[in-house]
Amino acid sequence: MFTIEINGKSVEANDGQMVIDAADAAGIYIPRFCYHKKLSVAANCRMCLVEVEKMGKPVPACATPAVSGMKVFTQSQKALDAQKAVMEFLLINHPLDCPICDQGGECELQDLALCYGEDVGRYTEGKRAVADEDIGPLVATEMTRCIHCTRCVRFGTEIAGFRELGMTGRGEKSRIGTYVKHFMQSEVSGNIIDLCPVGALTSKPYRFTARAWEMSQHRSIAPHDCLGSNIYVHTRGYEYSDFREVMRVIPRENESINETWLSDRDRFSYEGLHKDHRLTGPMIRKEGKWLQVDWPTALNFAANKLRDIINSKKPDQLAAIASPSSTLEELYLLQKIVRDLGSNNIDHRLHQSDFSQQENAPLFPGMSTELASIDSMDAILLVGSDIRREQPLAGLRVRKACLNGATIMRIGSIDHDVNFKLSENVHTTPSTLVESLQAVVDSLTSDANKSSIAKHLKNSEKSLIILGDEAQSHSQATLVRALCLEIAKLSNAKIAIMTLGANSAGAWIAGAVPHRKAAGENSSAVGLNAQTMFSQPRAAYILLNVEPEHDLIHSSTAIAALMAADFVMSLSPYMSPVHADLADVLLPIAPFTETDGTFVNVEGKWQSFNAVSPPYGEVRPGWKVLRVFGNLLELNGYDYICASEVRNELEKLLQHSNVPTDRTSLEKNTSNKPKGFEILYEWPAVCVDNVSRRANALQSILMPLQRTVSISSETAKDLGIQSEQLITLKQSDREITVPARIDARIPNTCVLVPKGVSLTSGFGDGFAEITVQRGESHA
Amino acid sequence: MKRLIKTVKSFTLWELFQGLFVTGRAFFGKKITIQYPEEETPISPRFRGMLALRRYPNGEERCIACKLCEAVCPAAAITIESEEREDGSRRTTKYEIDAFKCINCGFCEEACPVDSIVLTPEMHYHIENRGDNILTKEKLLAIGDLYEERLAADRAADEKYR
Ligand code: SF4
Ligand code: SF4
Ligand code: SF4
Ligand code: FES
Repeated sequence: MFTIEINGKSVEANDGQMVIDAADAAGIYIPRFCYHKKLSVAANCRMCLVEVEKMGKPVPACATPAVSGMKVFTQSQKALDAQKAVMEFLLINHPLDCPICDQGGECELQDLALCYGEDVGRYTEGKRAVADEDIGPLVATEMTRCIHCTRCVRFGTEIAGFRELGMTGRGEKSRIGTYVKHFMQSEVSGNIIDLCPVGALTSKPYRFTARAWEMSQHRSIAPHDCLGSNIYVHTRGYEYSDFREVMRVIPRENESINETWLSDRDRFSYEGLHKDHRLTGPMIRKEGKWLQVDWPTALNFAANKLRDIINSKKPDQLAAIASPSSTLEELYLLQKIVRDLGSNNIDHRLHQSDFSQQENAPLFPGMSTELASIDSMDAILLVGSDIRREQPLAGLRVRKACLNGATIMRIGSIDHDVNFKLSENVHTTPSTLVESLQAVVDSLTSDANKSSIAKHLKNSEKSLIILGDEAQSHSQATLVRALCLEIAKLSNAKIAIMTLGANSAGAWIAGAVPHRKAAGENSSAVGLNAQTMFSQPRAAYILLNVEPEHDLIHSSTAIAALMAADFVMSLSPYMSPVHADLADVLLPIAPFTETDGTFVNVEGKWQSFNAVSPPYGEVRPGWKVLRVFGNLLELNGYDYICASEVRNELEKLLQHSNVPTDRTSLEKNTSNKPKGFEILYEWPAVCVDNVSRRANALQSILMPLQRTVSISSETAKDLGIQSEQLITLKQSDREITVPARIDARIPNTCVLVPKGVSLTSGFGDGFAEITVQRGESHA
Repeated sequence: MKRLIKTVKSFTLWELFQGLFVTGRAFFGKKITIQYPEEETPISPRFRGMLALRRYPNGEERCIACKLCEAVCPAAAITIESEEREDGSRRTTKYEIDAFKCINCGFCEEACPVDSIVLTPEMHYHIENRGDNILTKEKLLAIGDLYEERLAADRAADEKYR
């Protein structure tokens, strides 16, 4: 630490720190385009030229290390002249089409041209123009505007690990583009929109719809993965007016979670909130017809029905299933209603089929360390995790750790492509996943270090085991988890269970599990879980943000049970065709932008957010609907005035909770290798919940592999089919005929069924036996 | 001294005669009678009357939905919705001016980068029905088409002062 002088003010600087950093820390602004604090220094725009005493020429502040006693002048005549000259050069080839540019009003070039540009240009020769490339449905290009700062290129190579964008040509001929014409396949490509200082890269779904100055900015939390990325939601329209609409979502800096980035799913999912997809008001089904009714009618109808069923049958004829992307408040109130009515049948573990030892689980599944510490791990073992798509920003951190020298290893059944170097890649089948983990445990306990994964974990000071969706939805998930805990214990590693949805942790805390009440208090009777509540059909069901045909791993059993039930009530912003078939009441509740709520992320961080726009039409926030519903059922203690009261009540309960840490213990490995085919489920990143499934631009980036059922080339040979021919899948008396695709990621004798896409809507019954045949049309 | 002059002036009705002098000048001068509404006095090319949207000579609408006029309008009279047209250009889907709100200040014309929104010299218009005060994009373009020659001439005449 030493001091330098900037504009006569003494400023602290560290060794190796660049002048621009020191200036930023002291609040002295130096103009810049190519410099970005998260990217490497390129020093190619020269906008940051400053004068330094005893240096002949102006120097770029972003590439000049601070030296003790240095005297820097950012506003001297020499510096200003240099900056103005650079600006004049930059504007030579810029089209100056601000009026039709989406960046207009929030453009770094526009702002700096106002400070450093001349009002009249001296350049009268022809300007350069660059053809635009179509790089996909998310990012619009207007390459004539590019000023070649290479931020986008550096983001691709350094942070996201895609080398698709690059600069070709020199001098006036240089241009940014994909070398070969193709669409960008990245889960974080949207960040180049924020990075681009001009309007060369802009958002395609947002294109030309609004102006920066029309928008109000609101803080919120991203609702699609367990990280709880911080976001700003931009809305247009007067406050409290019904016309206020969400226009776009951009990242809000939070160094400990999302840094300055945001995944494409979180950025573009707002399209799913659009009015076209939504329910406008409550609906009830009368004699097979859907009627739009007012809230009192709908709620009374539902309350009477529920009361009748509970009085005529037993209270345990009621079951509720909730999406883990619901807010803490909604989940807490839902479980409270279900429990007050005398039932314990509530669950949120939509992808799970092994519920053994659930009583040994900690207060909530999560990580035993912080997200930011992933960066500095020495070894990371991914178990059944496609971290790159499941939690894209955690994936970026794993990549960062890899670049810092960490060893990244993976055990899993799908050979997902990754953007970091995999030192070990054990490609298993679902049934051999357990064996592979057992082998790691064995070599950790015996001295003979046979497994190199064990060796890496043991020899690393800081190591982490990450369990992904496959590990949690595995048919022996408890065993997988116990083995991972064992490995962690033996190698002194941390463990991270990357849960489903934005609020799985919150769902556990709120008590949306059959064996524990709110705040982890043990429930005297254990209710039915997400599987058994459908395999032992109930008379009445409540669905919270769940679309049974897509969200559940046991879709087909669930739909059968729901169809047979006397009464089904669905709380969701949307009506899916399956809802229309099986529900009796549809209560439209507000999605995350229209309700107050809280998400608890995988680290256990509680993050609350407020509604940013009024609920659409007759839609009401979920917690309010449940509160009124509780009152209509004549239950006590539903007099909350605001969402934070619900949260406070839960927080108070939590003070007395003492759930021990994870005690999941190893039970005997009862290998149950199924005969025939093994089934693998995958929820493509953009199909994880009801909002993202309706975001059009996101849906259009679904890869061809996710629009078909995947099989390995050996399987295809055995069946005698070629790629994209039809196969018939049969599982517990449901049968679908779908196109298959040969997929190198899939082990032999496995079939990968994508969920959440219309292709397999309603198909899937956990790990029940599946048969795979050639499709009929080829027979 | 001042007070003396003031007293003399008020006793001689000086100010009254001063005023009557103006009256007398008009009384004996040449009479001008404009047979309004059959006749009208000439108006400046900068006259700010009813609003209109102009087109290019090839028939393409000028407006590019930049929303600068909406932003600058002090009366918040302009409402614009925009989207990408099929050919990829930026266009308005809705362009409305509330004639009741508009104060004919001309700021929108100043702001427009493509001379699309303009104030015509037309001042004879009235609104009979509620709702007619909303000048839609179609109406504004139609007014523009009607006055295009005059608008172009006025702008050409004023060119050197712009
Ligand atoms: S496209 Fe944007 S971010 Fe990329 S080099 Fe050009 S100006 Fe920079
Ligand atoms: S003339 Fe003035 S008040 Fe009328 S629309 Fe234009 S800017 Fe608004
Ligand atoms: S009328 Fe002119 S200023 Fe208004 S949106 Fe159209 S182009 Fe922009
Ligand atoms: S910011 Fe320093 S050269 Fe670009």
